[in-house]
Amino acid sequence: MPRRRSQPDQALGRSNEPGVLILTSLASGPMHGYALAKDIEEFAGVTLGPGTLYGAITRLEERGLIEATAGDSRRRPYRITADGRAALAAVVRDMRAIADEGAARLRLRVLARDMITGHQPAPGFGRAR
Amino acid sequence: MKGHSRFERSLRWYPMDWRNRYGDELVALLEDTYGDRPLPLRCRLSLVRAGAGEWLSGSGAEPDRDGRRQQVRSGSLLVLCAWSVFVVAGAGFAKFAEHWDAVTPPTDRRLPAAAFGAVQGAALAGAVLVLVGAAVSLPAFVRSMRQGGWATIRLPVLRAVAVTSVTVLLTIGLVAWAHHLGPQQRQGALWPYAGAGAFWALAVVASIATCSAAAVAATRYLHLPLRVLRLEGTLAVMATVAMVAILAGTLVWWGALAASAPWFFGSGVVGSSASPVPPAMILCGSLMALALIAAVLGAGRVARSLTRVSAD
Repeated sequence: MPRRRSQPDQALGRSNEPGVLILTSLASGPMHGYALAKDIEEFAGVTLGPGTLYGAITRLEERGLIEATAGDSRRRPYRITADGRAALAAVVRDMRAIADEGAARLRLRVLARDMITGHQPAPGFGRAR
Repeated sequence: MKGHSRFERSLRWYPMDWRNRYGDELVALLEDTYGDRPLPLRCRLSLVRAGAGEWLSGSGAEPDRDGRRQQVRSGSLLVLCAWSVFVVAGAGFAKFAEHWDAVTPPTDRRLPAAAFGAVQGAALAGAVLVLVGAAVSLPAFVRSMRQGGWATIRLPVLRAVAVTSVTVLLTIGLVAWAHHLGPQQRQGALWPYAGAGAFWALAVVASIATCSAAAVAATRYLHLPLRVLRLEGTLAVMATVAMVAILAGTLVWWGALAASAPWFFGSGVVGSSASPVPPAMILCGSLMALALIAAVLGAGRVARSLTRVSAD
């Protein structure tokens, strides 16, 4: 039986989904569209097209996960809401659980220890294909 | 700014509600990102795709209960307009496809016959759905007329009545004329008759267009009870499904005939060669495809708002 997972906002999806990237970016403070795109490009290496970015902003605002703040109406900053923080936290918990599971199955900790001690793993072990 | 108007043109793919809410911000983002440089093709495609997505989702400023009702209504009317275009394209297709079975080998008739039958069945179903839609909104229309609504729709209704009357008179005259002509003359040998036929076809198109415009004008301001509005929305979605079936049937019929009896698209002489993509079919198919896109947009808006209207 699969392990019971937390209930993230279902439409947010995977870590590289625009909604998750935007929430992650806004978790550090309010930003307008251009600043968001640049920040996401910097920390995730993902370039969101303007249509994709504002499509995701529209969906997030509709669901109350982000909100516009007062300011320049042409470069309106957005901030993450309490619901948005909860949704992002749930997604991050799930991603961490998967990352931990993956690391355990790949024995990445063993690999890291071996790298420190200079121990040679078995041929082919841990190599990316 | 030099590129400002160019960036604003990029918003034309988005619905008005969305533009009102996010348009300035998106233009500012494009200005900040691209400055005076031209928009890359990838960016343009991103905007087209995202704009179409907003039309489908009907988003923008979150509408209130009346706004959602309005979206069901406007989506249904968009489907009605698409249906009108389908009627024109379908009439053209029906005329073009006349006697197709006469030149098709009996062993190859099964698939095109099934497709043609599906087109006819879906067209009949669509017509019934439109008539039911008109019938259920009739009481609200009568109430509106009693309360002085005639003034708002007088012009489009009178225009539709005038154009339709001329079309009916033309039809009677053309039929009477045709009775005095031989088969060759009716098939285009007599150019005045062919010219009158073309003029009659234009009159039919104008009649359908003006009647649709009158129906839109009449329905736009009607106070429809929630129950009726829900039914209209459901009928609009069903009519869209009928349009999908019509277009699919038309394409299957076209493909099957192109494979088994391509001479039908040319001289009609069995065994002769002909292009399987005649201009008439391209025109009819393109009209149907464009109308279907509009219908899907309308049905998408209806479907999205219908559930929320029901929850109000």
